[in-house]
Amino acid sequence: MRSTFTLNINDERRTVTAPPRMPMLWVLRDLLALTGTKYGCGIAQCGACTVHLDGKALRSCVLPVGDVGDGHITTIEAVGRTDNGEKVQRAWMEIEVAQCGYCQPGQIMAAVALLNERPAPADFEIDAAMSGNLCRCGTYPRIREAIKLAATGKTDAMRTLVIGPSADSEVKEP
Amino acid sequence: MKSFTKITASLCVVAAVVPIAVVAKNMLSRDPEISAPDIAPSSELIARGEYLTRLADCQACHQVKGGEPFTGGRAFQLPFGTLYSTNITPDPETGIGTWSDDDFVRALHRGVRPNGENLYPAFPYTSYTAISRDDAVAIKSYLFTLKPVQAPAKKNELLFPFNQRWGLALWNGFFLTDRRFKPDPALSSKVNRGDYVANALGHCGECHTPRTLAFNLSDRIYAGASLEGWNAYNITSHKEYGIGAWSDEELKRYLLEGHAPGRGTATGPMGEVVEYSLRHLKADDASALLSYLRTIPPRPEGFVANVKESSMMTAASGSLPVATDVIEPGQRVFERNCASCHGWNGGGVQQKTAALKGLRTIYDPSAANLLQVILHGTESSALPGRSTPMPPFASLSDGEIADLVNFMRRYVGSGGKKIGAGDVADAREYQH
Repeated sequence: MRSTFTLNINDERRTVTAPPRMPMLWVLRDLLALTGTKYGCGIAQCGACTVHLDGKALRSCVLPVGDVGDGHITTIEAVGRTDNGEKVQRAWMEIEVAQCGYCQPGQIMAAVALLNERPAPADFEIDAAMSGNLCRCGTYPRIREAIKLAATGKTDAMRTLVIGPSADSEVKEP
Repeated sequence: MKSFTKITASLCVVAAVVPIAVVAKNMLSRDPEISAPDIAPSSELIARGEYLTRLADCQACHQVKGGEPFTGGRAFQLPFGTLYSTNITPDPETGIGTWSDDDFVRALHRGVRPNGENLYPAFPYTSYTAISRDDAVAIKSYLFTLKPVQAPAKKNELLFPFNQRWGLALWNGFFLTDRRFKPDPALSSKVNRGDYVANALGHCGECHTPRTLAFNLSDRIYAGASLEGWNAYNITSHKEYGIGAWSDEELKRYLLEGHAPGRGTATGPMGEVVEYSLRHLKADDASALLSYLRTIPPRPEGFVANVKESSMMTAASGSLPVATDVIEPGQRVFERNCASCHGWNGGGVQQKTAALKGLRTIYDPSAANLLQVILHGTESSALPGRSTPMPPFASLSDGEIADLVNFMRRYVGSGGKKIGAGDVADAREYQH
């Protein structure tokens, strides 16, 4: 049973015809050709498909299109137009976070949603918001560093990893 | 095998001490079984039979997961071995195709096959015995419209003496109240109908009423019981231990849609009951069932879910927890595996049916249902808000799952005793 939905995606009205239970990820990738959002696991276990619904991070692979209603969906294609989105993407380039890059759209969406809620997140908040986003290249230290850079504007904001000499005396080289 | 010994011992004691009077009384008070020639089913009768088959929830047990409906084969893990449900399609060789109306009615009322063999009470004839002959024949008429499927019965794996079917005749003598439902004139016709829907057809008590050592249902109606690794909770009208505090709307949503916000989401065996049976209830039967449930005497058994109290969960936002001095290992498991669907505030992220808020499952000190859901996930379902089921998390270690359960309880402010890896290992023994 298919229905027609008028969705608000990246501040554009888009009309799709789909079964109400179709995951938003399929709608984005297959019906609207917004392929920046990636398919990873399909069961909300990896975070590759993360998008925003009204600024909050959601796994689009388990979000039925019928439940979206009038909510504003933002994808990786448009998140750079927001202040936090731009900050995070710049930090991502500065730190050179990406390795293979497959999970990165999801990582960036999760990071932006975190900064939307907490402009200066504590470590435990970064863990709580980002642990559901897997990166099989293991870029986690750089993801954390980039989030701190985006939040504070400082590259040495991160205490959990030593990258060269630090001005902070609490962090010592082995 | 402790329970086996206990059950055997108690059976012996019961058999030795309680005089034959009990059996005699049961035999004398049983309703006569009317014999009548098979009737030619009309389309109305078949339609009524289809509805009654749903109310009696035959399908949930008479199929394997994802298998052909009504062909049986589902395993029941009981303390004395494993039983398998049978094929009730009208296949003449492996199903019930050769059964007369009388045969079918007798199976429902007395738990006896046409060849005189006793059926095991995992088939709930102790409840179905209350079904009227008319309704039983209607159910049979519907079943006989199904496609006959060749599906031979699997062999039961029962320990001696439970593999001796004749022993059931004795058990029936003691515990089968072979009587049809009679409305209580002191109660409204609505409550009486609800009683019939709940007990004769729906056989709610078979799971929700605790059993005695002899495995018959006790008189602690709907006080809660455990079976196959799951707990069927207290559904008496007790406001704290039961469902007395649920509003009519909440109860109705739970029973008909499988989810009542802030109260619960039906999963596991109860999810099947909603899926195959309750969601098909007609409005008047649903309201009758509700009225009847309200009349169940309150029993303070089981546990209290202090869902109203503030907790770490109520203090969290959807996407972030509150700061704590120590982050315990279970919180790490939760943030990696659970938070992206359930939300730190337990509100449910993509689907509201994933809400954890208010679930009795988390407060249950045994953690039985919580462990089964974590290990097995939930079934895909046609119910609203269930487009994506929860995946199983059996790949987490016993220790990780124990940490997770202990964290979740502390997180919602439940005072339950901590569980250990051994409890998780025990929960893994149940295959669903």
